Amino acid sequence: MTILEEKIIRNRKHTNDVVISLSDISKKYIITHEKPTLVEDVSRILRFQKKEEYWALQNVNLKIYKGEKVGFYGPNGVGKTTLLKIIAGISSPTLGRVSTKGRIISLIDLEAGFHPDLTGQENIFLNGLIIGMSKDEIDRKFKKIVSFAGIGDFITAPLYTYSSGMKLRLGFSVAIHANPEILLLDEAMNMGDEEFQQKTRRIFDKMLKKQITIVMVSHIYKYLNDMCTKIYFMSNSEKIDPKYII
Amino acid sequence: MKKIIKLSKKQRYWLDFVSAMTQKEIKARYKRATFGFLWLVLNPLLQMLVMGFVFQFFVPVRVDNYFLFLFAGLLPWNFFAQSLTKTTPAFFYERNLIKKAKFPREGIILSIIFSNLFHFLIALILLMIALIGDKLLIESYTFMQLINYALRMLWVFPAILLLLLFTIGLSLITSSLNVKFRDINFIVSLAVMLWFYATPVIYALNLLPEFIQPLFYLNPMTTVVEMFHYALMGLPMTMMNFVWVAIVLIIAIFYFGIKIFNKESKNFDDWL
Repeated sequence: MTILEEKIIRNRKHTNDVVISLSDISKKYIITHEKPTLVEDVSRILRFQKKEEYWALQNVNLKIYKGEKVGFYGPNGVGKTTLLKIIAGISSPTLGRVSTKGRIISLIDLEAGFHPDLTGQENIFLNGLIIGMSKDEIDRKFKKIVSFAGIGDFITAPLYTYSSGMKLRLGFSVAIHANPEILLLDEAMNMGDEEFQQKTRRIFDKMLKKQITIVMVSHIYKYLNDMCTKIYFMSNSEKIDPKYII
Repeated sequence: MKKIIKLSKKQRYWLDFVSAMTQKEIKARYKRATFGFLWLVLNPLLQMLVMGFVFQFFVPVRVDNYFLFLFAGLLPWNFFAQSLTKTTPAFFYERNLIKKAKFPREGIILSIIFSNLFHFLIALILLMIALIGDKLLIESYTFMQLINYALRMLWVFPAILLLLLFTIGLSLITSSLNVKFRDINFIVSLAVMLWFYATPVIYALNLLPEFIQPLFYLNPMTTVVEMFHYALMGLPMTMMNFVWVAIVLIIAIFYFGIKIFNKESKNFDDWL
């Protein structure tokens, strides 16, 4: 049983629009000790063994309203990332129903979809399409994306010539220009140099003020306490360990 | 630009996505290769020369114009074999992407197949131009003969369509199953190697005993390769009435490919 305990951090106004609704979400994983192969499957069936199962989430019910900044907090292995992936549509629940409204951008890995041999320009298009922007939209925002990333003339150079900071900035720049209505963040975003961090901080502050719904997951309480309007404490045991409720 | 077909936003996005992924495949392949696109003609050409040499002079196969025969069969076969071996482990190789973002998963498979198709079509068009040039300049066909010849070449279109459907269908099946069962990849590379000899690429079907010929039509690639032989060389299909077997098989595999992919792709994240 996954327990969610709600704690309101600050009462910021949000609308009554439900943008994320999870009803009776459960997620089952099948545990394989070796990599899953046909041989293992056949031998398991021959020995009449059942598959080993693990429920990462059980009966999760929640509604997130437009404009809310929601944090999920809990120890490792409680299903935080699984929950985020289900909201993002990367993973699908074994049971239950998810419905979301509006464009979801997940800042889980900014460099996913970059190809080292293509130029920065080509990668902006590829990455933009992968996170769900349309071609016209990328065309329109192309200049802004490049200038925000601050990579200058490197835009026409292949990506393998970039420093890791430059790649990160490019990825982040594409993601925030996608105009997300729902933003998903996994763990504390700690990236780039001082200047870029300040830049991202300003962007987040702007988003916090706007009616953008933010869902973040972390095991650092302070980080969530700073940003969120509501925190859910997650636990797998019957009761939530009081040391986690601060 | 006036759009002929009205597409919904979702369909438009899907098309943009698949075409961008395909362009990535094409561009990334020849980036920093000095000979670039030359490789795409050089590859089957060298393959044809080596094989032609072996089967013409060491183990003679009695087919007229053997080098051309080889080339006409090798082009579609290579497209099929290269696509299948590359798509089968593709979801597994792109696990980073699949675990991090939501996008049409089939784009990974289709982009590989379409980029191979692009290369295949260029090589095919070059071959067709060479053939027509040969008929025009060296064999000096009359105008009517040339028209007939060109009309017969139109048979490449249904052949390409069947080849494409078969490759997509089978790739969706093997790549989807390979996510859970990594043995599939090994099985496919072995199967493709053996499959080559079960397809009339280096030999002609009518050289085999007649009672065994129908069996070969259980392999859809037999029909596809023979259609190319007919379109490009005028060689009649060995057993015309077995074409339907291939068409039914190909459509069935395409259908099941989509079914299996739709069922499995929801849970790719769990297994990668």
